[in-house]
Amino acid sequence: MKKHSAGSTAIILLILIYLLIPLVVSAIYSLFSNWTGIVPRGFTIEKYVEIFSDPLFRAALARTILICIIPIVITIVVVLLALFVTAIYFPRLEKYVQIICMIPYTIQGVILSISILSLYVSNKTILGNRLIMLIGAYCIIILPYIYQGIRNGMRAVNMPVLLEAAEMLGASKLYAFFRVIVPNILSAIIVSSLLAVGIIFGDYVLVRNLDGSAFQNIQIYLYQAMKSDGMKASAVFVVIMAVTFAISAVVLYLQSRQNKSAKGAK
Amino acid sequence: MAYIRFENLNKSFGEKAVLKDINLDIEQGQLVTLLGPSGCGKSTLLRCLAGLETVTSGKVYLDGTDITDVNPRDRGIGMVFQQYSLFPNMTAAQNVAFGLKMKKVPSNEIDTKVNNILDVVGLSAQKAQYPSQMSGGQQQRAALARALVTEPKVLLLDEPLSAIDALLRHNLQVEIRRIQQELGITAIFVTHDQEEAMVMSDVIHLMYNGGIEQSARPIDLYTQPKSTFVASFIGHYNLLSAEDMQKATGEKPESGNVAFRPEIISISRTPIEKENCFTMHGTVNVSLPHGNILRYATVCNGVQIDVDVLFGENEVFDRGDEVYLAVSKSECVYL
Repeated sequence: MKKHSAGSTAIILLILIYLLIPLVVSAIYSLFSNWTGIVPRGFTIEKYVEIFSDPLFRAALARTILICIIPIVITIVVVLLALFVTAIYFPRLEKYVQIICMIPYTIQGVILSISILSLYVSNKTILGNRLIMLIGAYCIIILPYIYQGIRNGMRAVNMPVLLEAAEMLGASKLYAFFRVIVPNILSAIIVSSLLAVGIIFGDYVLVRNLDGSAFQNIQIYLYQAMKSDGMKASAVFVVIMAVTFAISAVVLYLQSRQNKSAKGAK
Repeated sequence: MAYIRFENLNKSFGEKAVLKDINLDIEQGQLVTLLGPSGCGKSTLLRCLAGLETVTSGKVYLDGTDITDVNPRDRGIGMVFQQYSLFPNMTAAQNVAFGLKMKKVPSNEIDTKVNNILDVVGLSAQKAQYPSQMSGGQQQRAALARALVTEPKVLLLDEPLSAIDALLRHNLQVEIRRIQQELGITAIFVTHDQEEAMVMSDVIHLMYNGGIEQSARPIDLYTQPKSTFVASFIGHYNLLSAEDMQKATGEKPESGNVAFRPEIISISRTPIEKENCFTMHGTVNVSLPHGNILRYATVCNGVQIDVDVLFGENEVFDRGDEVYLAVSKSECVYL
């Protein structure tokens, strides 16, 4: 292994500082009430108490979590079934599935939301419901991440042989898929869904364009807080970052566990 | 009717015919080997019996019933695969129990059966281990136990030892043969390794290019190849055309090609006088030690003849030495 030179360490430190400054400054800003002198005074966690006791904030947080879960579950089920069918019955279609699942990478949120609106806004069925539109839009946005994660997981297990082995032992293909393949790619599924959680948590554009302020998620709450109280906005921002960090930590933990079990295999 | 019968079996992948009109009978209680070079159709034939490939035309019978269109899971066939195929999320014991659970065997019965079969394959100590904690040999033993525990009518083994290193492979060959004879189960073993086929089988079906080239007991296949392909695939036959034979020995053989095994040739520094022999005179070109035997590649009047001698009890020759060779005419195979 190469020894790290002082230069590369310095560069990494600089980048770290650059990335952490906004976060640290926001955290400090949210914790002090008096900014008239050079050194801030008046340490207080009042803003955190305030936002956590604000039912609107809790509702926004709950909504955001709820609006995360539904599209993720839908997308995982759809991708799993699609990959199952292509792997077993139509292996030649796999590359088309891949292309379709990768397209959303290139679509900007604004374009996607405007397109969905113009398509469905005059629809009188359930598809015209703003919330359904939002869920659908999130499904599209997270599709590449979920697809890539699950497909990589499937590559790591030898799916055709495992399915054939299960079939020879008396299991149906679908049963074998959910009993044998899915448990083996579970950590891949979890990792990709946590990625999707991060994406939906950070969304402002889609929810703003599709639902306006009718559906107040955490980003909308943040936006409104910014207009009224900078200190409160900073506190909200810190909470969002904390939740995102927590998600990342879980992802890293799961990945390291997966690597460990992969290393154990000879 | 034989226990297993393939009748006029054809299988094509698109335009490519992989199995061409196979007719094959397999008797109950035997271990038979499908032997052949890669791409000869041996694995495909096995998979047709398992039901993992559909046949293009023809019939497959097992135990008197036509199973051509029966679902793989209803055929009562156990299979061990080439790649490790244990379910990674289950322990050895859970893997073995999988097939019994599918059959809805009561759980106390499952435990007894699983313990018994793990004992037979020598894995009792590993029953709580996951596949990633087991060696390749242990994994294939567990896969064997998993295939055997449901008491299948026939056990299929698709090159199960090809990923395992040489020493362990030899042990497992003997082991599989022992278990097969102990349980009296009918087994079909696919391999491209002729030594493995020789060691394990009651009958070898040598396949070539989508057909059965020769079916025989291992020793008969070795000593009496029926075609030039069999002679070139089995052992290290010297396979000479009539012209080469005349160049090397000065005699024209009665017909066609002549094949003789390198270990039946006598080699000496002085001319060999023997009745009914082809005699040759040449020089040693290469000497290759194969452990217990030494293989000399000699050149006799421009024709290469390989000679095997047991190492130790024979005179050792060097590159460039002049040698005389003799091979009994009755031991040659005329093809």
